[in-house]
Amino acid sequence: MRFWSKTTKSARLGVSAGLLALALAATACGSSGGTSASSGASATPHAGGSLTVLEDSGYEGAWPAGLDPATNTSGAADQSYMDSIYGQLFELGSHGKIIPDMATGYAFSNGGKTVTIHIRPGMKFTDGTPFNAQAVVWNIQRDLKSPCTCKPTWPVSSVTAQGTDTVVINLKMVFAPIISSFIDSTANWIASPTALKKMGEKQFALTPVGAGPFIVVSDTLSSVLVLKRNPNYWQKGRPYLDKLTFKSVGGDEAAYEALLAGEAQVYENMSTPALLKQAAQHFTVVNQLSTSPYDLQLNTAIPPFNNIKAREAIYYATDIQPIVSHIFDNLYPLTQSFTAPGGICYQPKVPGYRTYDLAKAKALVKQLGGLTVNLGTINILVAKETTQALQTEWAKAGIKTTISSYDLGPLIQQFTGKKWQAMVQTAGAYDPAAGVGVGFRFSSLSPFSGVHDPRLDSLLNQASGTLDMSTRCKLYDQAAAYISQQAYGPFYFSFAPANIAAKGVIGPGLTSPLSSVVVTPNVPWEDVSNSGGSTG
Amino acid sequence: MVGRLPEALLPAVPGGPGAPAAGAAPPARRRRRPALTPGIVIPAAMLALIVGACFLWPLVYPVPPPVGGSILDASMPPFSPGHILGTDPVGNDILSRILYGGRVSIEVALAVSLIGLLVGGVLGTVAAYRGGMVDTVIMRVLDVLIAFPALVLAVAIAEGLGPSEMHVIWALSFFSIPAFARIARAGTLRLHGQTFMLAARLSGTRTWRILRRHVTPNIMPQLVTFALLGAGVVIILEGALSFLGLGIPAPAPSWGNMIALGQGTLSAQPALVLIPSLFLLATVLSLNLLGDALRKRWSVR
Amino acid sequence: MAAEAGPAPAGRAVLGSPGLRLSGRRLLAAIPVLWGVTFLTFVLMNLLPGNAAQELLGANATPADVRALELKLHLNEPFWTRYWHWLSGVLHGDLGASLTSGQPVTSILAQRLPVSFELMIYAFCLSVLLAVPVAAAAAHRPGGWADRLSMMVSMAGLSIAPYVLALLLIFIFAVRLQVLPAIGFVPLGQSVVGNIKSLTLPALAIGLPLACFYTRLLRADMVEQMQGEDYVVTARAKGVAPWQVLIRHAMRNSMFGFLTVLGLNLGTLIGALVIIEPIFALPGIGQVLLQSIHDRDIVVVEAVVLVFALIVVLANLLTDLLYALLDPRIRYGRPAA
Repeated sequence: MRFWSKTTKSARLGVSAGLLALALAATACGSSGGTSASSGASATPHAGGSLTVLEDSGYEGAWPAGLDPATNTSGAADQSYMDSIYGQLFELGSHGKIIPDMATGYAFSNGGKTVTIHIRPGMKFTDGTPFNAQAVVWNIQRDLKSPCTCKPTWPVSSVTAQGTDTVVINLKMVFAPIISSFIDSTANWIASPTALKKMGEKQFALTPVGAGPFIVVSDTLSSVLVLKRNPNYWQKGRPYLDKLTFKSVGGDEAAYEALLAGEAQVYENMSTPALLKQAAQHFTVVNQLSTSPYDLQLNTAIPPFNNIKAREAIYYATDIQPIVSHIFDNLYPLTQSFTAPGGICYQPKVPGYRTYDLAKAKALVKQLGGLTVNLGTINILVAKETTQALQTEWAKAGIKTTISSYDLGPLIQQFTGKKWQAMVQTAGAYDPAAGVGVGFRFSSLSPFSGVHDPRLDSLLNQASGTLDMSTRCKLYDQAAAYISQQAYGPFYFSFAPANIAAKGVIGPGLTSPLSSVVVTPNVPWEDVSNSGGSTG
Repeated sequence: MVGRLPEALLPAVPGGPGAPAAGAAPPARRRRRPALTPGIVIPAAMLALIVGACFLWPLVYPVPPPVGGSILDASMPPFSPGHILGTDPVGNDILSRILYGGRVSIEVALAVSLIGLLVGGVLGTVAAYRGGMVDTVIMRVLDVLIAFPALVLAVAIAEGLGPSEMHVIWALSFFSIPAFARIARAGTLRLHGQTFMLAARLSGTRTWRILRRHVTPNIMPQLVTFALLGAGVVIILEGALSFLGLGIPAPAPSWGNMIALGQGTLSAQPALVLIPSLFLLATVLSLNLLGDALRKRWSVR
Repeated sequence: MAAEAGPAPAGRAVLGSPGLRLSGRRLLAAIPVLWGVTFLTFVLMNLLPGNAAQELLGANATPADVRALELKLHLNEPFWTRYWHWLSGVLHGDLGASLTSGQPVTSILAQRLPVSFELMIYAFCLSVLLAVPVAAAAAHRPGGWADRLSMMVSMAGLSIAPYVLALLLIFIFAVRLQVLPAIGFVPLGQSVVGNIKSLTLPALAIGLPLACFYTRLLRADMVEQMQGEDYVVTARAKGVAPWQVLIRHAMRNSMFGFLTVLGLNLGTLIGALVIIEPIFALPGIGQVLLQSIHDRDIVVVEAVVLVFALIVVLANLLTDLLYALLDPRIRYGRPAA
């Protein structure tokens, strides 16, 4: 669920810190420089024109803290704006592949404790000052020092520039997923140090200056962001659009009607399946490649789920297929692990997974002498419907369930209060070691985890510290099998919300699927074009 | 007593006897009318039907439960076997949700209106009648309530205490009391200058008697009209609270929260909004027709 | 009990003592009301679980992080200190800065309030302009076709939730007929016509249910007047046309009750804004208020509450002045009975 972007950004970075303890060597795969920055679209893009994009005011459409990378607390939700203004050092391609963008490449050395990042030469911020290694270093250091929990929590011992095009990061210990982590972190967005110093932080957050494909024309926090083309963007011929406007709208229905009226051409992250079916008749609907399956977290620290029989009963009592058919319109593939089609090491079937078996569920509940569960989730429609459906299913096995839904703040408090029993959430990321990866939900160090198992921790740490992709994937398979064996929590299906675009709009994520970053994908707006009619 | 501000500068009573023309009209000259006219019987019957259905039908005739429906029965159309109004996206029977939801909505509307009427009415009447310090203090407190944004309170209650039917009633009553108080006060003030009132006081009639015999019947029409109209608004307001996540917590139904929930898929499934809205319309309509007819019957002249 | 003043010369009627004294008194009385509202808000916001620092930093913040931010935002100080800090700021004209974004509150208000104000005024005007003539037509002949029709329509209008009405209006006027915009706000400076167009549907969404409410109230009052009053019978006996009686007398008297109710509804308009503004993507104050409550940004909440309390107080003052205007007895004072 996309709202997780908010909580995950702040929390996952803390989790990464935990993983560092046992991380080993660095990955050697996927480095060399590249030129183009995204998966291509099929039809021919059309230069010029404008585009209006709608965002849900409840989540992506809110940027109350401004757009400074170091202080934007909702940065994870605001990726569209940040990417448009600042561009990205590294980009996420399909199936978990990292693509260099404003960085041309990276390399590990010193046993993995040193990362060298090559910056594309000759780039300039929109205020004319040079985008060079010094600027990148300045930004990363600033991000690390920021009190915002959106900051990267990498074990950095020093960040220095070598020449104008090379950044050297020395780590206190090896941290393999560091480049993958750029995608999710504020360090991916480089602000103009000159502009920051000149304007001061407060003003800069309102009218930021970066080197991205677009320049800020006007910014009304959490309402309207108007951008225009950056003629000096490093990639020649991009962006296609002359003008890009983001507007915050209240809800899927209102956005859909606005699209029907022709007043916007794109709506990001629609999650109401009933509307998606309608929308497909008039618009291009693209389901993204999910990287974060829905799962059910069980708190194994306290009753009832400190007892494996209770956990098993849940597995046996859950029949996820009808839920996917009726609530989610059969749009998403079922999965039994934390991996998903959009990321690496995708493994939908886990040997020994306990599938729906009502008789076994009833027997277990009888053995337990009854089972009462408090089931919670985030306050959005499909999540709530899912818990209602689960409540009914489990009742057939004799499990009594009370359901609650929480807004983001109170939800976080539920976790930190440690009294929660079961929560419907999402788990996983394009790289299970990065972002809302597995550790976020299953490591003993994470405040959002219901599991405290050193064996699992060690498996995950090994996997994130291993260089070789096939070894990593084997380790993740083992982890998924272990989670299943211990019944730590069932996985449901690989959810990714859909983007809706009017005819004539072409671009990755709009006419072709992208891998989601943290549940939602980053649409590279510099590669989007609009040949249809548009309103400014 | 009533000397603090010149009576002339205070709001006049809306409608009702006490015309701007010279002199005052003594109350209580009832004309004989037939006790039950069709104008009263028909809306009363409709109202009784709706209220009766909501509270009694499930007791007499089995309906599927309003929550805990099986997902396999999701989104069935009206006139499906066993589900005459169809089912919602999670499989709950819609008719059942209308009936049980109606209970909640009617309870909330009734409670808020009654509390407002009684507490607010008394406060306003007393304030106007006693005048002086009592009036000033009461009115200032009520002014604070009127000027206070309902939203902050609603969020505070919901986040601090958790959303529930009781809390919704409290939150909405908080704002209905000042409304009724103001209307009652205005009405009472208007009467105050009337000759018959002066006569009653001079003749030594006790305050309570005066309030009951003379003031109340004269201000009741406005208060009742307002209450009847307000009842429907209260139900909508409860729905608005649900829209913001502050009202009756799902999955328990109320007409208000069914409408709020349904608006998210209005284009795709309009019935989810239409059906509770129609029931709400029927209830509000009959309430008001009944009110009009009753007032006509009771009108003093 | 009766007014002490005798009839005053016509020229000095409204400007004379009673009107001015009334306003002065009411404005003075407004101060404790405003104080009460802001104090109550402060109390409530502090009763809510969590504080701005916690909300900003999220659950994964170390206690040290939270403490540091709390110190920076002065959240560690005791209740009264913080209240006094805010209050003295306000009395000096400084509304403070948002705890969440650091933006000065005055600039937030300057950016957002005008949109909401315009919307509220537009909705208000629509509701009154629709209600008065329809109520008059209905009261003219109770039980007639105009009455019955207006009854059905206003009941229907009352029963529609504003947010549902908003979506319906968008569907009809923006999607199907394409005559009005579905979303977005056009500032006055940019285009007057565009501005009015961009606010019409939102104003209708708020104003129509209100208009239905007012129509019913007004009609009831006016019918009472027409049926119950001596002066009506007298006037008719004298040969005055029913319409004239309606307009000149019944409506005038009904205005008092009407005005009372109008003043009451102002507070609820804010709640309507919170829901309606996001549906139409209007950059108004409603969404700011809701978000600030969730963020526990007391500074912004207080400022918005203060502004709206001020509006309500002023509106009620205006109402009272209008009474004076409408009722000559009030203006001139009534002789002792």
